Amino acid sequence: MGQLGALYAIWLREVKRALRDRGQLVGGLSRPILWVILLGIGLNPYFRGEVYGETRFVVPYTYLQFIFPAVIVLNILYTSVQSAVSVIWDREFGFLREILVSPMPRPLILFGKVLGGATVAMVHGSLVLALARFADVSIAPGDVLYGLWLMFLLSFAMTCFGVIIANHIRSFEGFGVFSNAVILPLYFTSSSVFPLDPALTRAQTLVVYPEWLVILVEINPLTYAVDALRGTFIHFHQFSPMLGPIVIATMAVGFFIIALFNFRRS
Amino acid sequence: MHGVDSVRVASGETSDAIVRVNGLTKRYGRTVALDGVDVEIRPNELFALLGPNGAGKTTLIHILCTILAPDTGTVTLAGFDVVRQPRKARQHLGVVFQEPSVDDRLTVFENLNFHGLIYQVPAAKRRRRIDELLALVELENWRHALVRSLSSGMKRRVEIARALIHDSAVLILDEPTTGLDAQSRERIWAYLMRLRKERALTIIVTTHYIEEVEGCDRICVIDRGRILAIDTPASLKAAHGHELIRVVPDDAATADEIRASYPAAKPGSDGSLVIEADGAAVAEAFLKKFGGKVRRLSVDSPSLESVFLSLTGRDLRDQAAGKRERTYAFGQRGGEHTK
Repeated sequence: MGQLGALYAIWLREVKRALRDRGQLVGGLSRPILWVILLGIGLNPYFRGEVYGETRFVVPYTYLQFIFPAVIVLNILYTSVQSAVSVIWDREFGFLREILVSPMPRPLILFGKVLGGATVAMVHGSLVLALARFADVSIAPGDVLYGLWLMFLLSFAMTCFGVIIANHIRSFEGFGVFSNAVILPLYFTSSSVFPLDPALTRAQTLVVYPEWLVILVEINPLTYAVDALRGTFIHFHQFSPMLGPIVIATMAVGFFIIALFNFRRS
Repeated sequence: MHGVDSVRVASGETSDAIVRVNGLTKRYGRTVALDGVDVEIRPNELFALLGPNGAGKTTLIHILCTILAPDTGTVTLAGFDVVRQPRKARQHLGVVFQEPSVDDRLTVFENLNFHGLIYQVPAAKRRRRIDELLALVELENWRHALVRSLSSGMKRRVEIARALIHDSAVLILDEPTTGLDAQSRERIWAYLMRLRKERALTIIVTTHYIEEVEGCDRICVIDRGRILAIDTPASLKAAHGHELIRVVPDDAATADEIRASYPAAKPGSDGSLVIEADGAAVAEAFLKKFGGKVRRLSVDSPSLESVFLSLTGRDLRDQAAGKRERTYAFGQRGGEHTK
């Protein structure tokens, strides 16, 4: 009970701080509306390709449906990385010391913080689900549960990733710039806003896109996270269905270990 | 009174020390922060570390708090080695850091409850301790206020309450009164004195406000990483105290003249000169010679200030704001927009 109570305290603090931060909530709500409603509806009519002289949809879905799972990932990405700001905050304003002089083991402190950040990020991710009707996505209750589980794992991984970044950044200002420079490129190269047509061979794909872009998309682990959520919510996969969950879980474990290594050293 | 008693007890038996520091050194690059420090602090003692900014006080405190590893030497706290058994040592330790370390976005109660949870204090006891300690620091009515709405003096009081929730045996306060107004400072000391009456508690406090350490059991004067003296205020004054003549000369020429006649004169704050003088004769002789050429002159009776001056050769008055304070103030300004 004792250590669990301590873990709960750290988790609860992260969640409370996030709930009291209006700016973060506004961002979490406005981002999906912007992406799904404006970008999604705007680009919807143009989401088709001309292959071999014949017009057809690259994927058998509308653009709104296609982009919907990716917006969940975007919201998770922003919130997770932002929650790592609290690591810098705690370091700059001494609260970290209050925790460090307590008898709590270091790994548990980090685990509590990451769990808290991941919870908030997952909630922000699931805010997007409320827009499912507008995107013409109908989700079965069973899929919601599995999807939430994937979202939580992804949130956990991305919060660890944010902590790793935060450990190398010395100021709040630097973090803002850096996080945007990381989040958006990662998002755009995750096959979130444009598809790699699974019906095409690699050679055919290279005709459509330049090679560097294809490689970027393929080496970006988020590509597979987006693919996993797409598989869950609109049943469309560009890659092997097993690949997504495996990549997400590997990121969660791997990033946590790196974050722990960084955290112990600081 | 109390101080004299405890010295007598401890000189016969030093084995009951609750904090024991042996041969402690710490370097930052080429700067020596601590240079072979040995201290023993006895149970229930109110122990003051006195020294200017950069003397090594905070380094010593951070090593005691287990968040900084020493280069050489050992520290035991309540019988636990702070390097080898840090988590056991922390269980007995309550700390109030120099920079505020309460969470602004949580309420007073939430901050205290958080602390109780991470120190694994059982629920019923946690509630009781929070009630008692809020009463002690007179913040009962602020229980559910967000900490950011509190004044800095009140935040300090929250931190003192917090450091005691887990029944710590040793309470360490690093410059608890720096940056507070006189009234808040007085109050903080009143709480510490009241605490000592109510329960067994060893208090280690650092300060550069010399008037605050008069009521302590023992004072440790530290400068440039070395301990210069450890004793009761009364014994320190008897051994190292002098009457001090503080003068502000009219011009630089006079200052040079004074320095020529009194080679032992040391520079004080605001361009003043401080001369150690015992007996009224010295003051009279000074007045006869320079009486017309000084803007201000005062004679201080033997005080801890003069003890400090004679031990370190430096005046402790008006320590300029150090780099830490400036950095911290900058962080607070820069951090505003992320709140």
